[in-house]
Amino acid sequence: MESKSSTTGNRDNPNRNLHGSKTMMASHFLRALFRIQQTSTSSSSAGRSRRIRRAAYASMAYSAGTRRAWSRALLRKLRSRARLRFPRRLSRAATPQRRDMDQAQVLRKLVPGGPSMDDCKLLEETADYIRFLTTQVRLMQTVMDSISS
Amino acid sequence: MQPSSREMQGMAGSMNGGISHSVAVAQIALRELQNGHGGRQIPNSGPQASFDDGASGHDDFLDQMLSSLPSSWAELGNLKNPWDPPEAGQRIFGAGLAGETSPEEPSAAAAEGMRYPPYDESSLLANRLRQHQISGGSSPNGKAMMVHLDHQSQQQMLLPSLGRSPVASGDSGLLSLPLTLGTGGYDVDAPFKSLNPTGGEGLFNGLGGPLHRAQSAFGHPQGGASMPSQNFTAAAATGGVGQAASASASASASASAGGGTGPPRQKVRARRGQATDPHSIAERLRRERIADRMKALQELVPNANKTDKASMLDEIIDYVKFLQLQVKVLSMSRLGGAAAVAPLVADMSSEGQSGAGSGGANSSGDTLTVTEHQVAKLMEEDMGSAMQYLQGKGLCLMPISLASAISTATACPPRPLSSSSLSSAGACHLGHGILPGGPHLPSPSGDAPASPGVSALTAQSAMANGAAEAAKEAVTVSKA
Repeated sequence: MESKSSTTGNRDNPNRNLHGSKTMMASHFLRALFRIQQTSTSSSSAGRSRRIRRAAYASMAYSAGTRRAWSRALLRKLRSRARLRFPRRLSRAATPQRRDMDQAQVLRKLVPGGPSMDDCKLLEETADYIRFLTTQVRLMQTVMDSISS
Repeated sequence: MQPSSREMQGMAGSMNGGISHSVAVAQIALRELQNGHGGRQIPNSGPQASFDDGASGHDDFLDQMLSSLPSSWAELGNLKNPWDPPEAGQRIFGAGLAGETSPEEPSAAAAEGMRYPPYDESSLLANRLRQHQISGGSSPNGKAMMVHLDHQSQQQMLLPSLGRSPVASGDSGLLSLPLTLGTGGYDVDAPFKSLNPTGGEGLFNGLGGPLHRAQSAFGHPQGGASMPSQNFTAAAATGGVGQAASASASASASASAGGGTGPPRQKVRARRGQATDPHSIAERLRRERIADRMKALQELVPNANKTDKASMLDEIIDYVKFLQLQVKVLSMSRLGGAAAVAPLVADMSSEGQSGAGSGGANSSGDTLTVTEHQVAKLMEEDMGSAMQYLQGKGLCLMPISLASAISTATACPPRPLSSSSLSSAGACHLGHGILPGGPHLPSPSGDAPASPGVSALTAQSAMANGAAEAAKEAVTVSKA
């Protein structure tokens, strides 16, 4: 019960299923989608997709709160209005010889807030990040299904 | 004999190709057995390099193995209980096999090393079963053993074959047994995987599994003519048990020494960190923490059955990239049906948007429950997220005493929105001392002047969940 009283409660409780965060993520994301649809009906499709993607990451970070390093870094990036730089698939020109040496580096580039973490924390943050990412993807797929049907 | 071998071939044909190789060798082994029915002990099956042609070749191999571990050979000489020292002997056998397979990579051994054990296992087991059948008419035992092996189709084949005379049944049992073992190894491999770090030994120990069960059903054989050979074959067969079921009492002493060369090798290396050196302690702690994180990640990432840390990291990286790519793709494809988002949004937060002025008092009863349930759910997980959710809607939680105090104090609120939200929020029964009680949960529209667009929060369900500490959150009302 102690974990409920503090905002850092989720650090102890693994919260694998993201019960609490799911509804928040959904409501935030849907509201953002609505706003995007209302405001930018005539803008370019590329701009819209970028905005939608940004809204997705924003709802992820918002529902994760400030108790996670990656969500803090993500929120910082969003609030500073900086270009959300996502690692592109184009940089797949990496050599196949990228085994043990810079795997941690690659992971640090992928996970927001990565560079400022040690290996142990990096793995922990990666796990949480993956959890939220899967939830967000599922949410987006659900929305898409309900839209198209 | 011949019909039974044909029968066996038929069975072999019906099995999947993965085990057909082992089955073929088992067939050959058993045909050799039948040829040397009364006399020869060890089959001369030769497709694998481990066994030379002829018994002498096998003896050479035996000596070669035994010379490496003379101590266990002494145990093998002790024949009081044919089942116990065999495990010591089998330890040698297993160690020999382990020596073959451990240098290779586990993945390579999984392909190659898996070939080795079944033949030895099946042939030796077949021999032991034959001896057993011959010596005592243990068809019920044999039947029990067959039943223990979990391959149903073969059981059906076995039972009728066991109905014949003991010797014949022994042979047919022999014929069927290696096949069941061959597949049994594959079948039972999964439960034994946890015990077997190397792929080569995985199947080997998997075969030892059913063997172990069979062993218990056997009882003590009457000891036939060729006791040493029987002991050795029993040794060869049960050594797998000693390795697989290291917890088994009878094998503990012998398996610990011999089996120690195999799987525990990694454990020894890990434990070698000196306990006194602080650097190594910290290092070990760090490594353990990283191992824990990796295990947690393995549950999240699909295809996470890699034992190698580097490949696991590769998998994680690829999965993160994949997820981010999915987000990107989904955001691109969402452009078309944007018009349909509106009803979704309206459904989600129907009343929550303050200032909408939609006369939400009437519908507040409905919307109340929706928001209330959401908040209740959130509060189960984490108070912080619940608070954030509320704030996002322009609501807050506060103890009832404060809310009632404010509502009574302010007769005519200057800002209708804020005060009405206060009073409506005051209806939050949050396990504070002043709780009126469950049923007394008026819809806020009854209490306070109707506040357009601001719904009250009654967290009765939350109270039921014992979120008593939420009452401490006396947050200022924030208008969304």
